[in-house]
Amino acid sequence: MPLKTVVTCDIKRLEILSPDGTFDKALMPKVSDELLLKMYRLMFQIRQFDERAILLQRSGRLGTYPMITGQEATQCVPPLCLKPTDWAVPTYRGGGVYFARGMQMRYALLYWAGDDRGTHFPEGSSDMMFSIPVGTHLTQVAGLAWGQKFKGKGGVALTYCGDGTSSKGDLHEALTFVGQFKLPAVYIIENNGWAISVPRSRQAASQTLAQKAWGYGVHGIQVDGNDALAVYQATTEAVARARKGEGGTLIECETYRMSHHTTADDATRYRSDKEVEAWKKKDPILRMKKFLTAKKIWDEKKEKNLAAETQSWINAEVKAYEEFPAPNPLNMFADNYAHAPQHLIEQRAELEELLKFKGGAKILMELPPTEGRFP
Amino acid sequence: MRTATKHATKSPATQTINLVTAVNQALDLALGRDKQVMLLGEDIGRNGGVFRATDGLWKKYGDERVVDTPLAEIGIMGAAIGLAVNGMKPVAEIQFDGFMPAVFDQVVCHLGRIRSRSRGRLSVPLVLRAPHGGLIHAPEHHSESPEAYFCHTPGIKVVIPSTPYDAKGLLLAAIEDPDPVVFFEPKLLYRSAKGEVPSNHYTVDIGKVRMVKEGTDITFLTWGAMTVTCEKAAERLEKEDGASVEIIDLRTLAPLDLDAILASVGKTGRCVIAHEAPNSGSWAAELSALIAERGLLRLLAPVARIGGWDIRMPLFRLEQYYIPDADRVLMAARKTLNF
Repeated sequence: MPLKTVVTCDIKRLEILSPDGTFDKALMPKVSDELLLKMYRLMFQIRQFDERAILLQRSGRLGTYPMITGQEATQCVPPLCLKPTDWAVPTYRGGGVYFARGMQMRYALLYWAGDDRGTHFPEGSSDMMFSIPVGTHLTQVAGLAWGQKFKGKGGVALTYCGDGTSSKGDLHEALTFVGQFKLPAVYIIENNGWAISVPRSRQAASQTLAQKAWGYGVHGIQVDGNDALAVYQATTEAVARARKGEGGTLIECETYRMSHHTTADDATRYRSDKEVEAWKKKDPILRMKKFLTAKKIWDEKKEKNLAAETQSWINAEVKAYEEFPAPNPLNMFADNYAHAPQHLIEQRAELEELLKFKGGAKILMELPPTEGRFP
Repeated sequence: MRTATKHATKSPATQTINLVTAVNQALDLALGRDKQVMLLGEDIGRNGGVFRATDGLWKKYGDERVVDTPLAEIGIMGAAIGLAVNGMKPVAEIQFDGFMPAVFDQVVCHLGRIRSRSRGRLSVPLVLRAPHGGLIHAPEHHSESPEAYFCHTPGIKVVIPSTPYDAKGLLLAAIEDPDPVVFFEPKLLYRSAKGEVPSNHYTVDIGKVRMVKEGTDITFLTWGAMTVTCEKAAERLEKEDGASVEIIDLRTLAPLDLDAILASVGKTGRCVIAHEAPNSGSWAAELSALIAERGLLRLLAPVARIGGWDIRMPLFRLEQYYIPDADRVLMAARKTLNF
């Protein structure tokens, strides 16, 4: 018997907007000027925010911080394809996702300053905290999507992981569930080229990460992750497919981590300046600016206004962040259970004793009020 | 014509180095001495490890023996087991304590069982290294103390040094040990703990405590970075209360050096156990139970356990109120002394 081909898999790559601002007319999605400007505004603002956060860390006013720069299109655009009732779960580098979903960035700063009050989401938000142990959220997002299916209202769940995380079993198991139960889920691999010091080429021998989708009966596509329009188009299609009950999608966004892994890392130890320089030319914000300028809906005056507005917004967020009073140490006992058990009531009292030992009997009166539910 | 004269460069007999350098030296010596030794982990190669524990080794021993793996902890652990069963002596690194739960399936279901399941035919001579503990202002999941999970698992040894001398000697002993060893490195001490360390190869016996200081009134049992906290507390207790404190750094958590522990507690009659992990179900609980079982009649006061609270580790702004400090050890010691 001759060998038969039983399956052929092909992986498409979507690119619409070139680094010089020109675009493919046939592939161009229908996007209003208003939405285009919103994309640009979000990307512009989150980059400025990122730069300020790095300065804050460098001057000792923030803890270890993971930089976003370079990944603005991949982060800020997909949330624009979602409804507030959909779920979004980014990676720890996903400040741009939370920002586009409406989070006040003072809380992002608070989180990276080591303050538990930093996991504060806007009223009515469906979003979840990211996972620091990478990829451990991926199967949970399959569960979130499954929950959307049970609700029967066409809701979806969208999540992210990095190229490094795509090597972990978590993605395999998550996509197994997404495929098996036809879950309304969108998984974005934010392939930024580097998992700390380990390059994408060390993660998988496959030509693309998108092709992993085929193994699980999930749609897969590779996208130029620095091309906001391609990211928008691919996510829009994936979300529509999910809403219609036609299953999940894996989108590999090829982008680049322009900075270090975090402020605790030194990328010059393991990668070349030449590589970084080459990616600078593919900057997602710059190409969007060229496109909007050519379209005559953007100009230098508007850019200047946006820059000024952004700086005052950042100043206000930083001020609000720095004005949070130091947390009351007793806060850590709040919200561990719906009703605190006996041993935690005792241990909290022990901590009160310790505080008194350190600061005298008056210390408990001088501390800021406790927050959270206890017992 | 000039002739090159070869000077045998003689390394100094001892050097003052920090704990992470001691780890680096042990790995370097092991790789140099034994072709079966290889390292695997995330960012341990070109980058030299996020704490620089493997700095320079990739360059020296090459990509085949110092391996930057894909980001996959289960892969690292399972592959290390297979490599060890098949003749290699892998030293696997998990980048942070908080990323260790991923490897539990391999650890609990296989690592300590292969020798007995194969009725002694196969063994797993690997070392699993990971940084341990908090107080370095690290992000979430980067400050955990998961030793009890490993100590609870039969068939494996669990080691945690608190001095550069012990770090080097114990790590070399762990690599040469015929059974799997989980090797925790207190990250707070990586650079802050400095000490005299022999330049050449030596080993420190696994399964033996380190007597930090002798005393007669109360015993502090501790391990990891908490050893330093206990030293501070002891100094104050001796100065302010005139009590004589004995401090024992367990340095091997499994198997325990029970004779040394019982001898000390038998002598002083009072014991405070201090560590960083959540207290309930901790390794301090096992120690306390063993002391009650075997040394009850020598006790003059109940054994006190000081650990993290039974809640998740808070983000770093509050970590100093979560991990016991010298004040907490002192308070517990006073209660024990005044019982």
